[in-house]
Amino acid sequence: MRPTLIPTQTALSGNIVLLCRFLRNKGFSLGIAEEADALQVLTYLPIEKEIYFKQALKAVLVKTNDQQNKFDEYYAEFWDQLKKSADSKTKEVKEEKNKKSETQQKEAQFESLKSWLNLNPSEEEMEVASYSEIEVLTKKNFLDLSTEEMQLMMRLLQLLARKIAHRKSRLKKAAKKHGDLDLKQTIRTNMRKGGEIQQLRYSVKKEKKLKLVLLCDVSRSMDLYSRFFVHLIYAFQNAYDKIETFVFSTALHRVTEILDNNEFDKAYEIISDRVPHWSGGTTIGTCLFDFTQEYGYGMLDKKTIVLILSDGWDTGKPEVMKEAMRTIYKKSKKVLWLNPLAGNLNFSPEAMGMKTALPYIDVLAPAHNLESLKLAMQLLQKRRNLSN
Amino acid sequence: MKNNELRKVQEMLRNQGYIGDEGIAMSIFLAMKLEKPLLVEGPAGVGKTEIAKVMAKALNTDLIRLQCYEGLDSTHALYEWNYQHQLLYLKMQEQKGQDIKDLEETIFSDKFLLKRPVLQAITQTAKTVLLIDEIDRADEEFESFLLEVLSDWQVTIPEIGTIKATHRPQIILTGNRTRELSEALRRRCLYLWIDYPSFEKELAIVKTKVPEVDDKLGRQICAFMRELRQMKLEKTPGISETIDWARALATLHLTHLDNQTVADTLGVVLKDWQDMRRTQEALSELLEKTGVTSRLV
Repeated sequence: MRPTLIPTQTALSGNIVLLCRFLRNKGFSLGIAEEADALQVLTYLPIEKEIYFKQALKAVLVKTNDQQNKFDEYYAEFWDQLKKSADSKTKEVKEEKNKKSETQQKEAQFESLKSWLNLNPSEEEMEVASYSEIEVLTKKNFLDLSTEEMQLMMRLLQLLARKIAHRKSRLKKAAKKHGDLDLKQTIRTNMRKGGEIQQLRYSVKKEKKLKLVLLCDVSRSMDLYSRFFVHLIYAFQNAYDKIETFVFSTALHRVTEILDNNEFDKAYEIISDRVPHWSGGTTIGTCLFDFTQEYGYGMLDKKTIVLILSDGWDTGKPEVMKEAMRTIYKKSKKVLWLNPLAGNLNFSPEAMGMKTALPYIDVLAPAHNLESLKLAMQLLQKRRNLSN
Repeated sequence: MKNNELRKVQEMLRNQGYIGDEGIAMSIFLAMKLEKPLLVEGPAGVGKTEIAKVMAKALNTDLIRLQCYEGLDSTHALYEWNYQHQLLYLKMQEQKGQDIKDLEETIFSDKFLLKRPVLQAITQTAKTVLLIDEIDRADEEFESFLLEVLSDWQVTIPEIGTIKATHRPQIILTGNRTRELSEALRRRCLYLWIDYPSFEKELAIVKTKVPEVDDKLGRQICAFMRELRQMKLEKTPGISETIDWARALATLHLTHLDNQTVADTLGVVLKDWQDMRRTQEALSELLEKTGVTSRLV
């Protein structure tokens, strides 16, 4: 039914393909089918208004609410860049080259980081074996770490995260060959053959699908820790399938896709670029509330663990915080709060925000060194304490 | 010529009393042109389902509706064999002593096939509008069932074979974002997000849907609703609530809002006990804001 995809190849159609590529870089999921649609759409359009052109492309290329909101901005940016490159093509090329070499340098810096992200299983086991050798490291405060130590630390974190991600449930599912003999199913299948056992059925334990929502504070009071925390969420993101990540200071930002699609260095750069209040003040309450309003219905359920990384210094109203925490607590499986300050011996949850949130937290754990993190990860597995 | 078609869609929407911005008209127009499903998302009560109804009316065809719910499976959405009928038929034929092979062929034929909404939509004699409502309530597995229909316009039944669409239905999917829809589903659809309307748009909607409402009252209602949506409520009221409320107040022959009427009729707008209490506490403040805006307008 579909007519020829590209009636006439013009500069315009070329530009549309470019636009699609540009948007793809921005995280839009566009395939060739969408490009073809976009080109086809042009033939249906009235030509007297440019706005129709933009609207039509928007209708075809946008696939989520988020994308719909950002489309206008990207669209303008694209034409802007296109104009620029047309003005001084040669100059642009040169600049691009320079940029490349810069990124290459940085990539080299993070070579080791990348390598552990793609560990194969045998290497992994070795790493676990040598775990005890780096015991000193586990007690060192994150603030005192050198870059190499940090990378080693991240590797351990990654392992921990993976370990927890793959847990067996008590439920069972059918298996083809291996596993336990499933008597019930065996009898049932062989009933139709007159009750004579001809075929055996097996089952294995199901893997528990844990869903995780990470909310990470990147305000100024957390400045010293935030780079580390982004490391942490990056490690998590690569270990879990179902994970959503947000960072907040004065406003909430969803960064799941950025972390998914980029290498660590780039992801960090994009996030600190994209989040305008990076290392600004904090309004934890409002941000958490926004989270419950905008994403709460889709992301929170009784299979989801919510992990909040923050020091609890809230400059907003405590009622908002309370409301938000109550909603999160009510709708999730468990709420974990990692507070780097809690590692201090003299720590008590003094910060106003921390105090308000306390009744709605299952576990408040310190997160200042690896040992404490390991503890926190183990707490992830435990059931909610119902007496709370 | 081309101009006309887009304008025709805009006109069609207007004639049916659907007031939307240009983006909505464009999306509907393209969905019809490209023969692609349209996925509409947005908060509750902003007129997502209405789009399908309006389209069916404008195209002068049937609207087939599939309401999704948790646990919805292919037997309820695509097709099912009519077991009772098949059994009875077999019993009847047994006495006649018919050949078993023939029997087998007949019992798995069209006659014993119960067509559920999706199959019904693609086998109609004319183009239809298929509304798959609140797709996000169905399980993720169900989305996969739909993929075959959405991209290839066909349903495969193992006993019979593949049934191709005689006419491609216009499919509208709606969702409230209670869960994220799969990438595969999104890719097969055009996407449209509808948000709460602006003051002017809402006023226009109220005037079209409830023509008997007093002009001043209409303005006040819309302004009040706008303020209400600013509050952080559990269940933010949508346009349908606005219309209900306007209708209710018009029935009472009121010409303006006051503290007492709002407090008495709040149940039309808010459906949550906590929201109700919170709004009642902030009522005078809300009305003050509303009053100020209506004076300015």
